[in-house]
Amino acid sequence: MNVIDLDDVWRIYAEGAEPVYALQGVNLTIKPGEYAAIVGTSGSGKSTLMNIIGCLDRPSKGTYLLNGIDIKNRSDDELATIRNKTVGFVFQQFNLLGSMSALKNVMLPLVYAGIPGKERKMRAELALKEVGLENRMHHRPNELSGGQQQRVAIARAIVNRPSILLADEPTGALDSTTAGEIMDLFGRLVVEGMTVIIVTHDPETAGRSNRIIKVRDGKILEDIVMGKVS
Amino acid sequence: MNALELLSVAWQGILSNRLRSALTVLGILIGIASVITLLGIGQGAKEEAESQVQALGVNLIYIRPGSVGAGGISMGKGTAPTLTYDDALAIKENCKAVKEVAAQYSQSFQVQYGEKNTMTQINATEPAYTDIRNFFADRGRFFTDQEMADTARVCVIGDTVANDLIGEENPVGKQLLIRGELFDVIGVMEKKGMTQNMDMDDQIFIPLTTGYATLFGLNTISGKTVKNILAQSIDGEDWQAQFQITNLLRLRHNIQNPELDDFMVRTQMDIMQTAQSITGVFSLLLGATAGISLLVGGIGIMNIMLVSVTERTREIGVRKALGAKYGQILSQFVIEAVLISGCGGLLGICLGVSGSSFISNVADWPTVVTPSSIVLSAVVSVAIGLFFGIYPARKAAKLDPIVALRSE
Repeated sequence: MNVIDLDDVWRIYAEGAEPVYALQGVNLTIKPGEYAAIVGTSGSGKSTLMNIIGCLDRPSKGTYLLNGIDIKNRSDDELATIRNKTVGFVFQQFNLLGSMSALKNVMLPLVYAGIPGKERKMRAELALKEVGLENRMHHRPNELSGGQQQRVAIARAIVNRPSILLADEPTGALDSTTAGEIMDLFGRLVVEGMTVIIVTHDPETAGRSNRIIKVRDGKILEDIVMGKVS
Repeated sequence: MNALELLSVAWQGILSNRLRSALTVLGILIGIASVITLLGIGQGAKEEAESQVQALGVNLIYIRPGSVGAGGISMGKGTAPTLTYDDALAIKENCKAVKEVAAQYSQSFQVQYGEKNTMTQINATEPAYTDIRNFFADRGRFFTDQEMADTARVCVIGDTVANDLIGEENPVGKQLLIRGELFDVIGVMEKKGMTQNMDMDDQIFIPLTTGYATLFGLNTISGKTVKNILAQSIDGEDWQAQFQITNLLRLRHNIQNPELDDFMVRTQMDIMQTAQSITGVFSLLLGATAGISLLVGGIGIMNIMLVSVTERTREIGVRKALGAKYGQILSQFVIEAVLISGCGGLLGICLGVSGSSFISNVADWPTVVTPSSIVLSAVVSVAIGLFFGIYPARKAAKLDPIVALRSE
């Protein structure tokens, strides 16, 4: 079964005089364990596509099955639960909560998942260990470097064992060395079986994945599978 | 997410901007403290007024002449010489619900003792006065019915008069000159203090009959007029007594139209109700003033919460992306507002209670903080947090996560 199955998905913004067609009949399937990059210039529709894949937005038309579950007609709260359980987000600006320690930040999705306190802490510690930050657990974001902050964000994204890891320009705010390290981390997560989708405009970052999906004018222009898909 | 976690998330939010939270708490604190203090002052004034009315006597009924009116000019109640000693005797004779009656006639005279002299109120009355007013002789005794009948030249002096004229010595057995007439001092009244704006200790009591015979003279047209008549009803029959007295006086004064009554009969309950309605208005004004400051505090909470929601838009977006539901974001901010107002309420109650006792001690103003005003304040402070927190919290919970994540 596919993790992601988009069938003729449209996203139309009806505000204003002229409707804006952000997505125009996108068909896309992603299998478990794939490492895909969605690339495109700004305004190409890749952010809209990412929002829909991440269940932050709903298609105007067409069907989106996430893990075989149709997300049409889901309430906001149901989408929140789906995001919590099946999608891990990594953002360009890290988006860690400044008032909390790294550990507390990583525990946050587990809080909303209703995981009991003890297990929450254990799992968060494990996730931080996985990204190599076991010695920085009690630091606040402003006491960590950019690369370390992004690692915390990745730990937060994987702590609830989601079906997909959705990273929006994850290296956009990092220098090239650190960016390389973060990309290595994604590579390792893929090897461990995680499905990773990176949204980027940077060809180098995209080149690290196994599959490049080029988006332009709300449509998929090219879909290149480069390596072996596990 | 259980209640404790919601509480800790909200607490984190408060701690993340301590100064701002503290200032907002201060707004509620001042509001609640002023509610407690001002309600305490109001309650104190009420109880003070009630105790003053209680001090007037026991089951007291107060009968005064009506007003003098001529050509549309009214001189105010009590100015007409329409009540007579015979009225008092008739009330004693006929009104079954009345236990005791004491007519009063009073006038100020110069009083002399040896080298000293003073101007004081001469209160000519009857022996029942002491029981009705619950006001007794401390040293010596009050005059008797026999002394009334004999028009005896005896007097009972107030504590102030005793100190002013006679000083340290025992006044009982001494003699005073009142308007040149010689009176034997047979007693000194207990200290009573101020009642209804009158110094109860600065007066001299003499038998009413003696007063007519020696000091006031007789009014030959209307007989022996009195300034007022005090009556004491049988326990629990003050309304009946008032009714009987009113009817009797109308009959005696030949009045058919109640609007033309040349007297007025008020029970202690009437006086109490007047006092209560005055202090009630007083309390209401104080409460309203405090309520306004509380309202301002509440608006302060709303203001700060709105700023907080705007500032933390991205945080809300992140929380939503990570799976926070509408209700979870809503409760985070509502609880934050309630915590702020609750803290303010708690501290305000402490400050209000100590402020009230401070006013009592320093300004000598009676204040009474009732448990109900404390409970009320606690409930109101929480309610304010709820009321003023819900709008900003809804605003936060309704944010579109995409828009929120994109905000700076």
